Amino acid sequence: MILGDVCGKFLPFVGDLALKFTGVSFITFVNAHYCDITSPGRVSCERLPIHNIVIILNTMGTENPGRPNFPMRPSATPFASAPPTVRPFSSSGPVVGSESGNVRPAPPGAPPTMTPFSSGGPRPPARFSDPSVPFPPLTSVPPSGGPYQRFPTPPFPSAVQIPPARAPPVGQPPFQPPGSQVSVPPPSFRPQTQVPPVPMGSPPPHVNFPPSSANVPQPPSDSSFSGPRSNFQMASPLPDHSATKSSFQPPFPGYPGKQPAVSQAPSPFPAQQGSFMPPPAPPSPFASQQGSYAPPPPVAPNLGYQSRDQMQHPGSAPPTGSIQSLTEDFSSLSISSMPGSIEPGLDYRTLPRPLDGDLEPSSFLEMYPMNCDPRYLRLTTSAIPNSQSLVSRWHLPLGAVVCPLAEAPEGEEVPVINFASTGIIRCRRCRTYVNPYVTFTDAGRKWRCNICSLLNDVPGEYFANLDATGRRIDLDQRPELLKGSVEFVAPTEYMVRPPMPPLYFFLIDVSISAVRSGMIEVVAQTIRSCLDELPGFPRTQIGFITFDSTIHFYNMKSSLTQPQMMVVSDLDDVFVPLPDDLLVNLSESRNVVETFLDSLPSMFQDNVNVESAFGPALKAAFMVMSQLGGKLLIFQNTLPSLGYGRLKLRGDDLRVYGTDKEHTLRLPEDPFYKQMAADLTKYQIGVNIYAFSDKYTDIASLGTLAKYTGGQVYYYPSFQTNIHGEKLRRELARDLTRETAWEAVMRIRCGKGIRFTSYHGNFMLRSTDLLALPAVDCDKAYAMQLSLEETLLSTPTVYFQVALLYTASCGERRIRVHTAAAPVVTDLGEMYRQADTGAIVSLFCRLAIEKTLTSKLEEARNSLQQRIVKALREYRNLYAVQHRLGARMIYPESLKFLCLYGLALSKSVPLKGGYADAQLDERCAAGFTMMALPVKKLLKLLYPSLIRIDEYLLKPSAQADDFKNIMKRLPLLAESLDSRGLYLYDDGLRFVIWFGRMLSPDIARNLLGPEFAAELSRVTLTEHDNEMSRRLMKMLKRLRESDPSYYQLPYLVRQGEQPREGFLLLVNLLEDQMGGTVGYVDWIMQIHRQVQQNA
Amino acid sequence: MAWDLIFWVVCFFINIALLASSFYQLLSLSDLEADHLNPFEASTRINSIVLPEFLLQGFLCISFLLTWHWFMFLFTLPIAAYHLMLYLNQKHLLDVTEIFRDLNTEKKYRFIKLAVYLLLFTVVLFRLVITAFNSLHDEVDVHAF
Repeated sequence: MILGDVCGKFLPFVGDLALKFTGVSFITFVNAHYCDITSPGRVSCERLPIHNIVIILNTMGTENPGRPNFPMRPSATPFASAPPTVRPFSSSGPVVGSESGNVRPAPPGAPPTMTPFSSGGPRPPARFSDPSVPFPPLTSVPPSGGPYQRFPTPPFPSAVQIPPARAPPVGQPPFQPPGSQVSVPPPSFRPQTQVPPVPMGSPPPHVNFPPSSANVPQPPSDSSFSGPRSNFQMASPLPDHSATKSSFQPPFPGYPGKQPAVSQAPSPFPAQQGSFMPPPAPPSPFASQQGSYAPPPPVAPNLGYQSRDQMQHPGSAPPTGSIQSLTEDFSSLSISSMPGSIEPGLDYRTLPRPLDGDLEPSSFLEMYPMNCDPRYLRLTTSAIPNSQSLVSRWHLPLGAVVCPLAEAPEGEEVPVINFASTGIIRCRRCRTYVNPYVTFTDAGRKWRCNICSLLNDVPGEYFANLDATGRRIDLDQRPELLKGSVEFVAPTEYMVRPPMPPLYFFLIDVSISAVRSGMIEVVAQTIRSCLDELPGFPRTQIGFITFDSTIHFYNMKSSLTQPQMMVVSDLDDVFVPLPDDLLVNLSESRNVVETFLDSLPSMFQDNVNVESAFGPALKAAFMVMSQLGGKLLIFQNTLPSLGYGRLKLRGDDLRVYGTDKEHTLRLPEDPFYKQMAADLTKYQIGVNIYAFSDKYTDIASLGTLAKYTGGQVYYYPSFQTNIHGEKLRRELARDLTRETAWEAVMRIRCGKGIRFTSYHGNFMLRSTDLLALPAVDCDKAYAMQLSLEETLLSTPTVYFQVALLYTASCGERRIRVHTAAAPVVTDLGEMYRQADTGAIVSLFCRLAIEKTLTSKLEEARNSLQQRIVKALREYRNLYAVQHRLGARMIYPESLKFLCLYGLALSKSVPLKGGYADAQLDERCAAGFTMMALPVKKLLKLLYPSLIRIDEYLLKPSAQADDFKNIMKRLPLLAESLDSRGLYLYDDGLRFVIWFGRMLSPDIARNLLGPEFAAELSRVTLTEHDNEMSRRLMKMLKRLRESDPSYYQLPYLVRQGEQPREGFLLLVNLLEDQMGGTVGYVDWIMQIHRQVQQNA
Repeated sequence: MAWDLIFWVVCFFINIALLASSFYQLLSLSDLEADHLNPFEASTRINSIVLPEFLLQGFLCISFLLTWHWFMFLFTLPIAAYHLMLYLNQKHLLDVTEIFRDLNTEKKYRFIKLAVYLLLFTVVLFRLVITAFNSLHDEVDVHAF
């Protein structure tokens, strides 16, 4: 061993350290020689040099001076034995390269590749928001859709026969609600074939209606709104309406007779049609509608048909537009049970389901076309209450969900504006940025702030004359006065220091379990393949630290050919062995970095160290990064066991559940983590945690680091390269290459009289209303709640402005500003009408997860349920006086999915069940993830899509390209699964492909290859050389492209394969009753019962 | 008698220290609220004096007990017990990451404490004056004889 070696440039440094750290007892310095460290006597110089190793040992007095470091660090052995694997290095180079070649195109995200991203991203929104789209299931599948729509008629007779029995097998096909009818072809085919003739023969009543659905004149919401509409059953039949009813009944025996009925009693129409409309004369339409809907009890079951029958009318009603004003504005479900049947009178098939995905509120945008797109900002209700009493009656959260950097579809990118010398135009008093809602007065010399209504001077350079209508004549050239979302280039006043370069720092666990899992190899390969696409070339900085029981630093100075490794084993007083060169400019040190990444897996391949000095390593990384800030990616495989922040195996203790201490399991155990998170945020460091362990790793503690630094937690339990490798590869690549905003702060301003009071998400508050976000990207959303400061708001409109000040990867300081306006209302009903379920659920989700950190899971679920109940009760009280509601459950059209999402939320991983239902780590990881998810992704996760795909795969290729058609989502019920089918379950984080027991073996063979009969847990899905397999892979690829933030790994499961089927799929069929949890129907009943109590 | 006087003088100063500490903490919190102070600094400031305050208050409480001032002991006991409870639950320090969420409760807690200390202050002052008066009076009496 060569001690105190000659390398001149290191000597002063070594000396320094020796002076500085009194405890330095030994310095080992191996230069350009391979040295077998375990046997110090042997130095084989002829082998290839790999690294320079500097081992600096501090306060290790007890150590054997001859082998100062190594006893502690067997990991050195692999390192020493690396030379033979030098070949692997170099050979792995090309391999990695080719691999990277494969990977590279897929995860775009670097600035140049923004386009693929956005082209991928927009698709789903387009699918949802395009009014013509929700309908395709109906319009484009004529064979099933057509007859279906005419369906209502035939069932009538059949219904009359069944009423008392109402047995599912018989009743089922006719009962199919519009939602499910679309998606469950097989069972429903039969009735269909019998049916069509009848409807064909009864065109008159339906004449208008097929076109209506075909050309889709209504907003998309209509399509979904037919769901609840179909539930328009009257529970308490009113005798005096039987007359009306009888007038309505004729339609079905002799269809033509219906027309008169319609014209005769027009009121029923609007009644179901316009739940959006105000109810100017509600009682009368309502009563008549009731009458028409409510047959005497014995016939009650056929109400389903009637209601569906009527449900068609919304489509046919438009001609009768004049009556629209007579509409009532809620949806309802009949809850009472049928006489003679024990079953509750609620037909689960008619319950509302978000099968079209998330529909962004459109009315808001129509009202204020200059608002920013809902993808950036969504209010829980677009009607702001004007008084505190109104707020207290609105029991849902009042607030907003902001996703400041959401990916915009191509062509809708946020315009960048450079004011240059003028400076950014802002209100003097409230610091609002200039936006489309400011008004110019005084011939263009002054402008009035829309938020605080202060008159500001227009700077000379910004001046423009006003035309006759008071518009600036240069309005067309001023995107900031036209668009709700703009980006300003910030001058130096907005910088406390020069804009930082994008900085990626990697902290990699190399202990034995990490090595065994193969994680290191995948990580090294992925990072290497992404080097070209890291944003911010040529300023990007990069650095690495690896750790087991010691901390290994790497000197990557560009003048070196090989990285130098330095080992610090003093964990109590961590120090950084080199002042510079641990963080290097990627473009300058590219070769060194590549060499390092190539050699990393083999360097530690024989490591047998089981310890993890995570805390000290984190501190070291913090010290290296604190100058600049940046993004710290932590790859963690072993429970931190040494130094600061060491964690106990406190584990998932069954006995703690249900006691007052339950929540402490979900909190960080050691205050070190919170303190560290605060320090990291202070120095602009964002942390992303990648956790891989198969054992308990205390995600609750580790995740805290990500939570307060605006990062996220990726959790791969029991990581195995061959299974999860691809997922890690894609997600890490996405993390590295997506456009990131650095050293950001965000603030949301709103008009006088209201104030944002609480913020929810992954970030830390820098001051009462300033969110510190060291690194933020398009996959992060933040929620906030507002409250009224004044008892009465006098302004007719309230404005919101989100401003995100950040450093772009290109080194420009920018401010992204989103502005939105919302009307102030005095009517609670209007608030409910304008409610946005997505934003509400998102806020509920965050509140509930936060609640699990201070109380029991059960309490969190209960409080969620209570709030839903309170809201519905308030809504009921609003209408109970005018209408005789009987046992019906009513809810606003806008909130028709609220109950379902509430159920989904209480069955989601962070909140569900108790000890046995989810592992603690999984729970915590899911909690951290859901705290950051944007609305759309959250809703997808809560109510995943279930799609039958075997028909699509079997179809001849000509029609097969019609991708949208097959995306017919099914209700998440076990009943949706047909044992002859092949189903795809997609929750945005993973795919589950379910093979029915009676699925034709051909399909299985085609998809799985020769091992199709094997246990599916051991089969991985790969592309086989046949059309069907290719098509499936293409489909999965398209689904993944629609949301690139996570990579969905396909899990295969066969029907009846226990217990895999249970935990992979069945437990996620959230509408079913499963092991102690309630199903959808029971949930509705529960809520309804609670709503009626003290109603 | 002189010991009694010294005791009350010590109590008096301890009390002033407690008042000052509470006041300083409240001030820091208000500064934080008004954005004159960042959360890192505010929490460091406050956390650095939390333990000294607890110790001082505990000392005061125990010394009342040892000097058989039952009323004063009972008067200071609740706060001492509360401090002990906070310390045992490791909740005595401000959590810098959630400081804004807890701001109002923390302020309220410190306001109440301030009020109690003020009350204590008046009582201590009163006792001090009486003791001083008595001892002076005694001395005068002694001299008179």
